Amino acid sequence: MAPATGEDVTRRAALVALFFGISAIASGYLAAFSTAGTPIWAAWLLALGIPVALGGIMILGAARGRRGIGPLRIPFAFVVVVLVIGFGAALALPATEGPLSTLWLGLPARAAIVIYGVGLLPIVVLPIAYALTFETQTLSAEDVERVRMLARENQAATDNALREPVDDQLRG
Amino acid sequence: MIQTTGVSTLLQVALPNAARPAVVAVGILYFAVVLGISVWAARRTRTAADFFVAGKGIGLVALTVASVSVSVSGFAFIGGPGFIYAVGLGAMYIVLPAAVINVMGAWVLAKRMRLLGEARALITIPDAIGARYRSRSAQGLSAIAILVGIVGYMATNALAMGVVINSIFGVGLGWGIWIGMGVTLAYSASGGILAGIYNDVFQGILMAVASVLVFLFVLNFGGGLGEISRTILAHDPTFLGPWGKITPLAALSFFFVFSMGSLGQPQAVHKYYMLRDPLQLKWYPLLKTLGLVLVLLLYFSVGVGVKSFVLSGRLAPLASPDQATPALLLNVTPIILAALVFSGVAAATMSAANSFINIGAAIVTHDLPVAFGRRVKNELRWGRAVTVLIAIAAAITAQRSGTMVAFLGIFGWGLFASTLVPALAVGLNWQGATRAGAIASIATGLIVTLALETAAYWKVFTFPAGVTASAVAMVSSFLVFFIVSWVTRHAAHAQIDPDVKLVMDL
Repeated sequence: MAPATGEDVTRRAALVALFFGISAIASGYLAAFSTAGTPIWAAWLLALGIPVALGGIMILGAARGRRGIGPLRIPFAFVVVVLVIGFGAALALPATEGPLSTLWLGLPARAAIVIYGVGLLPIVVLPIAYALTFETQTLSAEDVERVRMLARENQAATDNALREPVDDQLRG
Repeated sequence: MIQTTGVSTLLQVALPNAARPAVVAVGILYFAVVLGISVWAARRTRTAADFFVAGKGIGLVALTVASVSVSVSGFAFIGGPGFIYAVGLGAMYIVLPAAVINVMGAWVLAKRMRLLGEARALITIPDAIGARYRSRSAQGLSAIAILVGIVGYMATNALAMGVVINSIFGVGLGWGIWIGMGVTLAYSASGGILAGIYNDVFQGILMAVASVLVFLFVLNFGGGLGEISRTILAHDPTFLGPWGKITPLAALSFFFVFSMGSLGQPQAVHKYYMLRDPLQLKWYPLLKTLGLVLVLLLYFSVGVGVKSFVLSGRLAPLASPDQATPALLLNVTPIILAALVFSGVAAATMSAANSFINIGAAIVTHDLPVAFGRRVKNELRWGRAVTVLIAIAAAITAQRSGTMVAFLGIFGWGLFASTLVPALAVGLNWQGATRAGAIASIATGLIVTLALETAAYWKVFTFPAGVTASAVAMVSSFLVFFIVSWVTRHAAHAQIDPDVKLVMDL
């Protein structure tokens, strides 16, 4: 990976998280090919690797230079934790589903954790966080104007080689 | 999000004949509206940009509903509920990623794709890869990968359309294929993506209305979710366990492939180019997530509800799990609801087919010539011609290839995910990614997916439970992307043009 400068520490951390998340998932799959059968920890590797990888790629996309991810660190942390706890609880809690199970919003406990926790809680947090931080963290009118100015310059220079993707080796 | 599983599962469903007067009438009304929208859109399509990216002038609500529409196939209505009926809540891991994928796509891709499209007048996904890495090779290779995936998708969608239209009108599978593909072709060739978008809006609303009504009906008929759960827990408690009847590894694998893989689905990613004002992206994830949740209500409620109704004897045992939705609609719900859902399934398959036809035409007339250093002079005219050819080829393949069609449809999602997610989604956000890394990653995704899916199809070997070719291909292409980019890191920053760098910095 490229050497980090002071301003891309957040992106570097996100890349490291993405790499380790994907590596954990790959290790889980590799373990499943064991002749002795799939070890129990293979699922745990996915249960941890998936939230870390998803969190990593979201932070990578949301990070902006020196500002990093700013206030978004809270919703990102929340969602990663919700996914880890949701998957972890489903793996760790004993199977007690039966006719006398206590129901949580119509579902037994472990199913409720997965359906409402993993499936619905992020909806309440992430899109709202995206909208609330949109101008400061994602895109402002000034950003759009800068790109439009660039587009006008590109349009004016139609012969510019930048408009045509060319491999360096082909250029030479 | 569930296109691949959708078409392949729908193909295995022998839908019952639903040709009741109300179903036929709603079906005819549906096709009339589609044709009306198409005529309107055709009059507004004058340039290649109109044809391929709707002139980059679609508003937020239209784009959101259209995006929901193309993200869901007939699987959400037929195969998905059947899958829940068969394996329990483990099948929910295919749709649970809906909670995160839209906002993840917005952060990772939407802003940069939209701004890159503005800065460079880009119209395709391979365009973005070519611009990012300043590489015709990367653009061409990604175009080939998408085209391979589209071949499978188109053939399977053509066959799925035939299955659904035959069920609604009772015209026979062959005529069903040609009628469905003919109508789709009519609006794809005349109005391009503009017709596609506004038909997607109509189709998306239809799907959401049908889904919500069925959800409410099932809850009411079953006495609420609590009563439905109690019935199931008394007979089959594993069904409502957190993994259902599949292994934890298999369920988590679904979640991984359908969450991370969503960043590489061209039918959804391509739409980012079309938004009129980039600042409208602010509300896009929230609206799309809510829309997707509405459309997926049927998936959960029918799967769980029918299981409860069969266990309690209120519905006869099913001949096969995939009969869950048809059995409920034709035996329990009011017939008008059945008519809406069957039209919704037709809408889902046609919406997907239109998107893929348009993307395929753009690849043939735009990306592949660019990869070879050429430009097609009249992209609009050639775009329309290639649209016709793709549709006819898909219909013929669907009719003549038998089980091979199902095989072609299986690997689409995984192929897009493994070839596009690292190079596009990570590449647009990491300036240390290199051209060599992107090309190696795309090639790895393509080769590993095709090799593993072919080997699995011909039963050369069997994957351990929970491991899929799509997942293995995706992690492989990710790791290759990181390793090759690291090895060639000295070239990374020299391969980014200043305008692309600005878009990546924002």
